[in-house]
Amino acid sequence: MKLELDEHGHLDSLLHQWEPKYKLVGLMGLILAFSFVQDPRLLPAMLAITLALYALSRLPLSFLIARLRYPGFFLLIVAILLPFLSGSTVLLRVGPLALRQEGCLDLLLIVSKFVSILTLSLILFGTAPFLDIIKAMRSLGLPLVLADMTLLTYRYIYEIGDDLERMKTAMGLRGFHARYLGGRVLRVLASLAGSVLVRSYERSERVYKAMVLRGYGQPTRPSEEPRSRFRDLAWLFAFLLLAAGFIAAEIVLRQGQG
Amino acid sequence: MHIPDGILPAAVCFGGYATTGAITWYSLRKINQKDDPREGIPKASLLTAAFFVASWIHIPIPPTSVHLVLNGLLGVVLGYYAFPAILIGLFFQAVMFQHGGLTTLGVNATMMGMPALLAYYLFRLRNVLGRKGDRLGRKDDRLGDRKDRPYQALTGIFGFLAGAGGLGIAALIAVALLITTIPTHLDAEAERASIYALTLAHVPLMVIEGAFTALVVLFLQRVSPELLGD
Amino acid sequence: MEYQQPQQVKPTNPDDPVLSVSDLSFSYPDKDDVLRSLILEVGSGERVGLIGPNGAGKTTLFLLVCGVLKPDAGEIRLFEQPVVPGKFRPDIGMVFQNPDDQLFCPSVRDDVAFGPSNMGLPRAEVEARVREALSIAGALELADRPPHHLSGGEKRMVSIAGVLAMRPRLVVYDEPSASLDIHSRRRLIRFLQASQETILIASHDLELILEVCDRVVLIDEGRIVANGDPTEIMDDVELMEAHGLERPHSLAPHVEPHHERPQVAPHF
Repeated sequence: MKLELDEHGHLDSLLHQWEPKYKLVGLMGLILAFSFVQDPRLLPAMLAITLALYALSRLPLSFLIARLRYPGFFLLIVAILLPFLSGSTVLLRVGPLALRQEGCLDLLLIVSKFVSILTLSLILFGTAPFLDIIKAMRSLGLPLVLADMTLLTYRYIYEIGDDLERMKTAMGLRGFHARYLGGRVLRVLASLAGSVLVRSYERSERVYKAMVLRGYGQPTRPSEEPRSRFRDLAWLFAFLLLAAGFIAAEIVLRQGQG
Repeated sequence: MHIPDGILPAAVCFGGYATTGAITWYSLRKINQKDDPREGIPKASLLTAAFFVASWIHIPIPPTSVHLVLNGLLGVVLGYYAFPAILIGLFFQAVMFQHGGLTTLGVNATMMGMPALLAYYLFRLRNVLGRKGDRLGRKDDRLGDRKDRPYQALTGIFGFLAGAGGLGIAALIAVALLITTIPTHLDAEAERASIYALTLAHVPLMVIEGAFTALVVLFLQRVSPELLGD
Repeated sequence: MEYQQPQQVKPTNPDDPVLSVSDLSFSYPDKDDVLRSLILEVGSGERVGLIGPNGAGKTTLFLLVCGVLKPDAGEIRLFEQPVVPGKFRPDIGMVFQNPDDQLFCPSVRDDVAFGPSNMGLPRAEVEARVREALSIAGALELADRPPHHLSGGEKRMVSIAGVLAMRPRLVVYDEPSASLDIHSRRRLIRFLQASQETILIASHDLELILEVCDRVVLIDEGRIVANGDPTEIMDDVELMEAHGLERPHSLAPHVEPHHERPQVAPHF
């Protein structure tokens, strides 16, 4: 599984240049607005804006497709039943199954929202180093305990992942392959998981000592605010306006129907 | 079990953020009440990473394989750090693998984190029921002798309950949420019936999680009991 | 064998003691008497090598000296001030055996900045120190990389930079050459030979100790067994083997001498 998030973080685009703190607020605002959408008439606008932003970000299309594939597959499994279960207006009969209009629209809605929100998330995390996003969250008020935990976890995921790979290789070389579900297999895999936990725990004690030795726990100066250029604020304003627009449109359309 | 973006209505997502915010606040308060809250941070963080990695271990169920959720085990090992750990773990899963969504982060965290805390409380009962006193302060006592067998059995049983319960409650919440919010125009009877049915379908998985959790807990008991709070 | 406290070797500058350990004793909950009434003195500018078998107590001694562990008995003074366990003292730095235990930030730059930031220094000063430390360690080009992309040798030098950024006057190194390839190890040796601080090195790499240190302390079972000139101590085959070590190859009598060793002036 690919762990790298920001392999395209070094590209140059208007979205890459947007200060992470404002980018985070702007994109999340738009994402939340999209999640509010229930009326199918807003879908074309939603998708159009999403694709436009993706094009603007200069992230490769292959990146998007690769990332959408796995979760999209699982989403479809859950949602594919909808056209057959939901609603009363029948469009098509295929034997005992009936394709219903409301269900089809629901499916369309879910898939569109899914694609849009996921694409925006990829833009958010793909156009800036992950570390900068965490720092942005910290400056927006993320509690210290959570920020520290996130950074440390992020740092050691790769090391521990490598540990696991090495242990699995060693196990394989001594003839163990988990092919069936049985007591022995479960026991061995549980020992593997347990070993990963114990090693990580022991490492964490050493890491804590290393942190304390270099002053962890001392009161620190608040970090400097990032410079905010007019451009960053302007983009933020534009995004928030767009988000508000979608929410307003949704409310108006709902009232029109109700 | 991770609910992706796009399915749940915004109101539910906001509700999820609210509950996650509340439970996180509560957990952080409990953490900050300790003598040195920062001491637990490296341990919790590295164990979060370890759980993240451990959940990649494939359990073969021919013809395919599953990844375990391990939220019950996480609760047993991390205690009050379990909820922030799950929140962070889910965040990474959403961002790195698009497994679970960002809008549904709150919902998913509550769904998996709350059972983790329950598993922690449940496992603490083990200490109430089992004699713990004699075990402290003995050196080189790792591999238990025959006297320890009842305690080991107790540990195993509670481990199983924690693991199975952790998954079961999370599955129940996930299924209930999906069925009640996806517009299927089923009546209340049918909805309830389908919730029961789908949750019941998770029972085999609950058994596997329970068994796996019990085995890992017993491993930790032998090798590194401090991880279980012994 | 009756334990005899070896003759104390006076440090280079008795008026400028760096480290003074007296009657230090320590036990772990699951292991008794890791250190037993240990006595040690280190003077300014010295390069002391700590050798001994595994479990002799070298790492434990370092952790006590740094104030991470609390002694059961005895006193430790650093630059004439008693070491208070838990108190942050940037004048001493410890380089851990495994650099991954010490490189806990997601980027090299942040990691090297960790120490100076905790010292309360202004941002500009922190950045200057980061640059300085990375330059000294020869790792400036690695500044923006994540640690898990670094090789073992690179991680080693970055972890050293992280300690040097605090400008410590005493640096203790725990097995610094472990797992390093030949080139990285040579780089490390040259670095240590050029360093300005007082240093204490615990290592199984006896040849490194020979090349870098001007005094050697042999520890076994929590006590100092020998304390003096590196060549004298490590050439004593009986002594070395009695304490789970061997005489380094370069000191063995050669038919055709082929080892060149830097001349270190005796100072006692």
